[in-house]
Amino acid sequence: MVRMTFSTAAMALGTTLLCALPVAAETFRWAGTTDPQTMDPHAVNAAPVLSFLNNVYEGLVRRGPEMGIEPSLATSWEALPDGAGWRFTLREGVTFHDGAAFNADDVIFSYERAISEPSDVKSWFASITEVVRVDDFTVDFLTSAPNPLFPGSIANFMILDADWATTNSADLPARDAENHATRNANGTGPFVLSSRDPGIETRLTPHAGWWDSAQHNVTEAVFTPIGNPATGLAALLSGEIDFISPIPLQDVEQVESRDGFKVLAGLETRVIMLGFGHDHDTLKYSDETNDTNPFLDPRVRLAVAQAIEVDTIDRVIMRGAAEPASQLLPAGLSGFSDEHADRPDFDAEAAKALLAEAGYADGFSFGLMCTNDRYINDEAVCRAVASMLARIGVTANVNAMPVRGYWDELRADNFDMYLLGWSPGTFDAEHPIRFLAHTPTERLGTWNFGGYSSARIDELLEPIQQEIDEAARQAMIDEVAGILQQDVAYVPLYTEPLIWAMKDSIDVVQRPDNFFMLRWVSVN
Amino acid sequence: MVGYVLKRLVQSVFVMLAVAFLAFSLFTFVGDPISQMTGVETSLEDQARLSKELGLNDPFFVQFIRFIGDMLRGDFGYSFRTREPIGEMLLTRLPATLELGTVALVISLIAGIPAGIYTALRPRGLVSQTILISTLIGVSIPTFVIGILLIFLFGVQLGWLPTFGRSGTVEIGWWRSSLFTAEGWRSLVLPALTLGLFQLTLTMRLVRAQMMEVMRTDHIRFAIARGVPWQSIRYRHALSNTMIPVITIIGLQFGGVIAFSIVTESVFQWPGMGLLFLESIRFVDIPVMSVYLVVIAFFFVLINLLVDLLYVVIDPRLRVRESA
Repeated sequence: MVRMTFSTAAMALGTTLLCALPVAAETFRWAGTTDPQTMDPHAVNAAPVLSFLNNVYEGLVRRGPEMGIEPSLATSWEALPDGAGWRFTLREGVTFHDGAAFNADDVIFSYERAISEPSDVKSWFASITEVVRVDDFTVDFLTSAPNPLFPGSIANFMILDADWATTNSADLPARDAENHATRNANGTGPFVLSSRDPGIETRLTPHAGWWDSAQHNVTEAVFTPIGNPATGLAALLSGEIDFISPIPLQDVEQVESRDGFKVLAGLETRVIMLGFGHDHDTLKYSDETNDTNPFLDPRVRLAVAQAIEVDTIDRVIMRGAAEPASQLLPAGLSGFSDEHADRPDFDAEAAKALLAEAGYADGFSFGLMCTNDRYINDEAVCRAVASMLARIGVTANVNAMPVRGYWDELRADNFDMYLLGWSPGTFDAEHPIRFLAHTPTERLGTWNFGGYSSARIDELLEPIQQEIDEAARQAMIDEVAGILQQDVAYVPLYTEPLIWAMKDSIDVVQRPDNFFMLRWVSVN
Repeated sequence: MVGYVLKRLVQSVFVMLAVAFLAFSLFTFVGDPISQMTGVETSLEDQARLSKELGLNDPFFVQFIRFIGDMLRGDFGYSFRTREPIGEMLLTRLPATLELGTVALVISLIAGIPAGIYTALRPRGLVSQTILISTLIGVSIPTFVIGILLIFLFGVQLGWLPTFGRSGTVEIGWWRSSLFTAEGWRSLVLPALTLGLFQLTLTMRLVRAQMMEVMRTDHIRFAIARGVPWQSIRYRHALSNTMIPVITIIGLQFGGVIAFSIVTESVFQWPGMGLLFLESIRFVDIPVMSVYLVVIAFFFVLINLLVDLLYVVIDPRLRVRESA
C-alpha cells in the first residue's frame, strides 16, 4: 500500500516535471523559393526580405497571428492632439543582439536611414514631416495631416542600432555596392543572424536576451533557398528539411498522402484581377483593323466580368483552394466593403446581350498580357479566361511572359487587357486605392497601368487617408468600392491561396501576408 | 612554340570580346532590372533615379565600353540583386562547379573508356548491345528528368543520399571543397552522375568508333599477321592510337560540362556558378550574367588552348612538323 502510494506520487511528480520542462529544443530547417536579396531592412521593400528580417529585426509595432497590430519595441502609442501625429512610448530594457541598449536614438536613426535617398521604404513615411525625440523612451512622429493608419502601416519599419550602423559605415542602405548591413544584422528580434551565405544557406540562433518570452523551441534555424519546386518537394519528403513554402498546387495531394507530412492551405492577401487599357484609344493586339477600343465601354467590361466563371477557375485550376473576389482586396481585411461583397454572377447570355448592346454582337479580338512565373498557375488562368471569353465571341490572344519583363511591357502600354495580382502592403483598403485606382501620377496610381481615372476617387483618397472616425472612413471606402464596381474598372477574380508543406511534427502559424515567423514555430 | 601560344592568346581575347558583346546585347531583352530591385511602393521618380545611377539610361555602346573597361581594370562590378562584388560571388561559386564538372568527367572516363573498348572488341555481343541501347536511352532523357528520377530514387525512396545542396565542405583557403569528407562525396554523387551521363555515352561511343577504325588499319593488320599477342595489339597499339582524337574531344567537352552544369545545378540546388547564373536571369542581374558568360568563354578558350598543346605532346607527328 505504502509502495503504491509512493510510486503514484513519483509518477505524479514525474508528470509535473515533464510538463514543467520545455519541450526538447530542435534545429529547424526550412526552404523557400527565393533567397532574401539583402539583410538590410531598408534597402529593398520586397516580401522575401521583409518576411525573413522580421525574425531578426523588430519594429515599433508588430503583427499578430491574425494580422492585428500589437506592441513590439513600443509599448503603447497615442494620437497627438489635433491630428498632429503619433506619440510612441518605447519599451525599456530591450537589447540588440550585440548587447547594446535600445532607446529613442535608434528610432530616430532608423527613421533617418529609412527616408534617406537610397532607401526603398520611403513611401511608409510619406505623411511624416518630422520625428521628435521627447525623451529616451518617447518619440513623436509628426504628420502634416491626420494619419490614423500610421501605426498600422509601419509594422515592417525595422529598427537598427545607431552605433552599430555608424561604426560599421552602414549609415545608409546599400544601393550600388554592398555595405556591412547587407550580410550582417544587429536587431532586437527573437533570432540572431549567425551566418549568411547568400543564395546558399542562412543560419539563425535564438536571441538569449530577447525582451519577449519565446513561444518557439528552436535552437537553430537554417534557411536554404530551393528554386526548383521538384527538388524542394524531394527535400521535404526525404526529411532533409522540415518546412517548405510554397509548394505547387499539384503537389498537395502527394504530400498529404504520405505519412508524417501535412499541408497548411490558407488564403493569401493577394487578389488576382484583370485590368483594362482605359486610356487606350485603340486595341493594340486585335486581329481586326478596328480603330476603337471596345473596353472603353463599361458594358463591354461588365460583359467580360459576367463571362468569366470564377468558380470553375477555382475548382479546376486552383483545386478549390482560392476564394472568389469582388474587390481589390480580399474579404476580411480592414476597409473591405461588405456592401459590395458580391461579384457579378456568371451569365454568358447576359454578357452576350451586353456586347450586342454595345455594338459588338460579332465579338472582337484583343491581346491579353499575362505572367507565367509570378502567380500560382497564372498562365493557365489566362488561358481559361480566354476560353471563357471565346464563348461570348470575344477572342483573347494570350501573351504570357516571365515577370522580369512584364511590368516594363505594361508601363509601355503593350496590352489590351492584363492580369495583375495585388497584395495590399498595409492590409487596408486605402492601399489598392492609392496604387491601382487613383489616376496615375508620379507618386499615386503608380500601378494603375490602364490609366483608369475617376475624379471622385481621386478626391476621396486623401480624406480616406486622414479620416479618424471609422464609420465616416468606411463610408468613403464603400463609395470608392461602389464606383470601381459600377465602372468595372478591374475584374477581380479570386484571392490567391497560400500553400505551406511541412512535417507532421512541426507547428507553425500561417499569417495571411505569407510572412514566416520563426517565433511561432515548434518542433515536436 | 611560344609564338603559337601567344597567337592563340591574342585570338582568345577577341573571342571573349565577341562573347561579351553578344551577351551584353542580348541582356537588353531579358527584362527590366529596376522593377526587380525595388518594391511595389517605390515611386516612379525613385525608379528613374536608380536607373540613371546604374547607367541603364546610357546608350548601348557607352554601357558596353564601360563594362569592358571595368573588366580590364579587374573591376567586375556589383550584383544588382545582392549588391555583392561579382568577382567574389563567382569565386565562391567556382569550386562547386569545377569539382562537380571534374568528378562528372572522371566518372564518364572511368566508365566510358572501358565500355567503349569492350563494345568495340565484341560489337555483336549481348552485353555490348545492352550497354549501347541503355546508354542511348540515358542520353535521350533530358538531364533534369534524370536528375529528378535519381533524387526520388536515392534520396526519397531509399534515403541513401541527400536530395539537394552541397554539405560536408572543407575550406582550404578560399577554396571550399567537398572532396575531403564522406558527407561531401555523398552530396556530390548524384549531381556528378547526372552531369556525367551524357559525357559517358559520348566518350564510350567515340572510343568504340575510333577503336573499331584503328583495328582495321594497316599497321594493326600487319601486327596481327606478325603474330603479335592480342593483348599487346589491343591495349598497346590500338588503344594509344584511339586516344588521340578522344582526348581532344573530351577536353573540349569539359568546357561544355562546366557550361551545361546549369541544369544539373538547378535540379540539385548545387551552389555553383550555373545556379548563380539562373538566379541572376530571374532577377535580371545583368552585371552577373555578363561576367559569368565572359568567364565561361574564358574557360572554353583556355581549355581549347590546353588541348591544342596536349595534342602536340601526345602526337609525335605534330612535333616533327613543328621542328621541321
